[in-house]
Amino acid sequence: MTDIASLRPLAAVMIPFVGIFAIIAARSRPNIREAATILTALSTLAVIGSLVPAVLNGTVHVFRLGVFVPGIEIALRADALGMLFALLASLLWLITSFYSIGYMRGLDEHAQTRYFASFAASVGTAVGVAFASNLIALYIFYELLTVATYPLVTHDETQTARRAGRKYLAYTFGGGIAVLTGTAIVFWTTGSVTFTAGGIAALGTTDPVIARAGFALLAGGFGVKAALIPVHSWLPDAMVAPTPVSGLLHAVAVVKSGVFGIARTVLDVYGPATVGDLGVGIVLATVAGATILIASIIALRQDNLKRRLAYSTISQLSYIVLGLGLLSPAALIGGLLHIPAHAFMKLTLFFCAGAIHVETHTDNISEMAGIGRRMPLTMAAFGVAALGMAGLPLVAGFVSKWYLLIGSVESGGVGGVFALVLLTSGILNIGYFWPVVYQAFFETQNNADSKPVIEFNMGGRTARTDGGTESENSMTASPVSESNTNQPESPGSHAGSSNYAVDRHPSDHHAESADDASSHMEGTRAWKEPALGNESTWFMLGPIAIAAFGAILIGILPAEMIFLRLINIIVAGVTGVSL
Amino acid sequence: MSETLALLVALPVLTALVPVVLGRIWQRAGWTVAFVGTVLHLALVVQLARAIRVEGTVSYAVGNFAPPIGIELVGDWISATLVGLVSIITLIVLIFERDRNDSSDAFYSELLLLTAGLSGIFVTGDLFNLYVFLEITGLATYALVATNPSPRAAVASLKYLLVGTIGASLYLLGVGYLYISTGTLNMADLSQQLAEVGYTSPLILTGFVLIMIGLGVKTALFPLHTWQPDAYTESSDSVTVHIAALVSTAAAYAIFRVTFAVFTPSFASAVPVALDALTIAALLSIILGSVFAIMQTNLKRMLAYSSVSQFGLVIVGVSVINETALVGSLVHLVGHAVMKAGLFIAIGGLSIVAGGYELEDMRGIAQRAPILSAGFAVLAFALVGVPPAVGFVGKWNIVLGAINSGDWIVAVVVVTSTLLTLAYFARVIERMYFNSPINIDQTAATDGGQARPSVPFQTRALVSILAFASVSFGLVAIQFIAAITPIVGGYLT
Amino acid sequence: MLELIGTHYSYFAYVALVGIGLYAVIESSNLVKKLIGLNIFQVGIFLFFITGGYITGGVPPRVAEGGGPYVSPLPQVLILTAIVVGVSLTAVGLALIVRIYEEYGTLDEKVLSEAQINE
Repeated sequence: MTDIASLRPLAAVMIPFVGIFAIIAARSRPNIREAATILTALSTLAVIGSLVPAVLNGTVHVFRLGVFVPGIEIALRADALGMLFALLASLLWLITSFYSIGYMRGLDEHAQTRYFASFAASVGTAVGVAFASNLIALYIFYELLTVATYPLVTHDETQTARRAGRKYLAYTFGGGIAVLTGTAIVFWTTGSVTFTAGGIAALGTTDPVIARAGFALLAGGFGVKAALIPVHSWLPDAMVAPTPVSGLLHAVAVVKSGVFGIARTVLDVYGPATVGDLGVGIVLATVAGATILIASIIALRQDNLKRRLAYSTISQLSYIVLGLGLLSPAALIGGLLHIPAHAFMKLTLFFCAGAIHVETHTDNISEMAGIGRRMPLTMAAFGVAALGMAGLPLVAGFVSKWYLLIGSVESGGVGGVFALVLLTSGILNIGYFWPVVYQAFFETQNNADSKPVIEFNMGGRTARTDGGTESENSMTASPVSESNTNQPESPGSHAGSSNYAVDRHPSDHHAESADDASSHMEGTRAWKEPALGNESTWFMLGPIAIAAFGAILIGILPAEMIFLRLINIIVAGVTGVSL
Repeated sequence: MSETLALLVALPVLTALVPVVLGRIWQRAGWTVAFVGTVLHLALVVQLARAIRVEGTVSYAVGNFAPPIGIELVGDWISATLVGLVSIITLIVLIFERDRNDSSDAFYSELLLLTAGLSGIFVTGDLFNLYVFLEITGLATYALVATNPSPRAAVASLKYLLVGTIGASLYLLGVGYLYISTGTLNMADLSQQLAEVGYTSPLILTGFVLIMIGLGVKTALFPLHTWQPDAYTESSDSVTVHIAALVSTAAAYAIFRVTFAVFTPSFASAVPVALDALTIAALLSIILGSVFAIMQTNLKRMLAYSSVSQFGLVIVGVSVINETALVGSLVHLVGHAVMKAGLFIAIGGLSIVAGGYELEDMRGIAQRAPILSAGFAVLAFALVGVPPAVGFVGKWNIVLGAINSGDWIVAVVVVTSTLLTLAYFARVIERMYFNSPINIDQTAATDGGQARPSVPFQTRALVSILAFASVSFGLVAIQFIAAITPIVGGYLT
Repeated sequence: MLELIGTHYSYFAYVALVGIGLYAVIESSNLVKKLIGLNIFQVGIFLFFITGGYITGGVPPRVAEGGGPYVSPLPQVLILTAIVVGVSLTAVGLALIVRIYEEYGTLDEKVLSEAQINE
């Protein structure tokens, strides 16, 4: 791999920051401001895109920034792994910018200048994370990413939003501290923190205890942003942010930067060989496996669509970490391929959720029966993406899962357990996505099945708050709490004294009673079918369609989509094995 | 041109007489004289820097009495940078203060005396001389704190006077012990004489302890910090900027000089418990300073406790006796001065718009004072340690140095201080940006002028400049590190 | 022991003065008494320095006259400086106390803190 000095990596990082000034300057002219965002996104994508042929050829563009702390030089290097993340982030930023315009205007949101400016800053720092040449540079942009995304999380300025923002800051800065300590340990033992394909050689020969401590700190610190259990709980709370933020940042950029950090640690700081020798790979894989299963199970119980998607994200991110932990070449390819695959799919899902919110103001799955009539294109895209999440062929999720399965079997021994985990997760994915799609197309508001998994009280007895009255509606699952303590009484059924669902819902099918809680449904009982293409603004529909289409493309032609080629280069460089 | 060193102290002293005299004839005399005097002081610093670049360390014998009998003034890159910092901060304070109060001429005289005292602490090479300058600084500070017309300022100043004088006197006592055992007061000479006497001698040990307690009072380390919150809170904004940035900085520098130039790392190896005690005090300052800061609602008081914590950070870098940590310490000393000055100026401006210094007054103020809020946010995150600002560079070096020395507890505490600092700053930033403003009817009921009190242009300009500086200093810190590493290395051999 | 006190009585005096001064600063509730205590504390320190410089049978350092062991002038000079510093501090402190009295009408520390709380 040859290095050549070039301005382009710097340009890729600086263009979004220049864009911030343009956005702020245009704050009183919304159309110009939005145009500035689009232009910035386009230019960033252009610059990064222009680097792709070079990387595929093996040439790495480098921009040296100089020595920052003694002994460590900061540079921006567009190598294959960095390109993977940067290309993804910039491409999806462009799509999300269009979507943001539709979303923010549809909801007539406040503080849009702050929103677009913070967005640009976030993507700029994400590209910086991607192109960082060593752990210190990565840390710089990592922390800046936290600062840049904080105003987006707290955008709503409500009590919940502020609390979510505080939690986000606490968790991510805490993770940053662990990364800093890990970096200091690596620097202290080896004198270098530069990313070298195959790992820094000295780490293989140092005291294993120290090396393991360093790995634990680095992986743990990055794992906060990668939402590994048990440091995941900032992510569901951060769903209070506007949906484009949730989509791009928390399904694509912020969490992917955490996973990216783990990837760099495993591939370029320690190297798969050392990770295997130290025995930390299997620990990482176990944590990932546990996260996959636990998060999927929690997702089953979420009524708020965005929270369900958040837990799905937590689960899917651990596919990537699992791949990184299993260390065999196929697993690495699978894990890394899941980065773009999951990004496209999850973004589609979030866009759909956002579109539903804007058009119909519904956030809870229990209220979305029959919404397929109201928003057919949206729900179709949702369905496609959901299929991909489960790992069905033709959509992106299948390809990465395939490699992961091969890789887990290949790594022998315990690998078989992980293959089982992956398959179970696929089933669970279907478990929490299928009801949404099914009820959207095949049910109506008047004619909906109950959802016992969401509604039933863990622990049996209905919890009654003292002094209150029983609620009339069965469908009010509180969106913010994970444990539902509401009373599942179905409309029209007055067998109130029994605590068992099967007694209260003898036929498990609700017929509409006229005086039902229409107040709760906000008067949108029967979704009206709109004309084709008219269900929502094309600012939102377009990106949804493109993202879904991208997911399908990756699934059908993975090699043509640049991502797989980049990944093959990465894995070949690190392990010496080409698949 | 080694006379520059003496002039650095003499010039402000002489200039300090002028405002009182001229003020009788001419109204704005005070401000102009102070401004001119400080500009001249800055010119002298530049002169000194050029001399250092040519000759290395510069030294000057006062009255032509050769050291170690006479008093010696010493200038190297570290002291030159810090004296330059004094000039620049004084200039900043003068610009900040220009349209805010009708300050009496005495105020400007005291400011110049303070500049003289601080410059003296940075350039002196003699322990008793240090005491004199320490007291000059102290006196000027007590007077400046009391210039604020509020009655609480007088009480705060008296409290500071009592505690500070006891501290300085303990320092003097420590110097006395050292003098009695070795017969010399010159720092360089003492370092050799102390080695000959033997570091385990009770006189020497007591001397060290007393000196450290005395300087610890002036630096406001826990538990000797109690004067600081009142002094910072009750003094007027311009005074707070000046003393927060410089007074504790000078005392911390004195601790560094005494530990390394006088006692040398050999003392640390001979009597490790002495420096361990200092480390513990510093670690407690870091943790408890932040904890107290989190509990405050008055912003100036919060920043005062923040200073306690930050200086704990600086002193811990000194007490682990490690080259990297010491470098980090010195970087943080300079960086913290810049950042704290910026923060206090921002609060000065914000309090005009908000009508108070309380946390709750700051709700939603980002809409009314965007530049000040943005500057405050940048400076706050810089102090937390978000790279690439200067706050990170210092911390990184201290952590690395601590790990190098095997001081894992120190490394963990320093790293955790990031979270603690974040805790008290995040509250402010959250209130500023993400809360809706409380009703602004209190400003409408004032003098019948404009409904929105305006912040002078220079305040906003200064905050922006300092915020920008805190980030860019982080990027160029490597140059400073390159310049001071040889000096630091010299102390550690 | 008694012989120690006999020859080193100044040092015991210095310790006593420092202790009394410090105690006065901490314990008195009257502000002026606190300042007096501060002065006593400083005087104790001065005594220490001067005692340290004392030489039995020493003569002033006028070399032309010749004579026995010369007393070093340095401690005395140091103390002169320190006395001056102490005087200025006392002056500033008293000025502050006058102002506090004008503002609050009391010199008692406890009453003062009550007044500040109630402000």
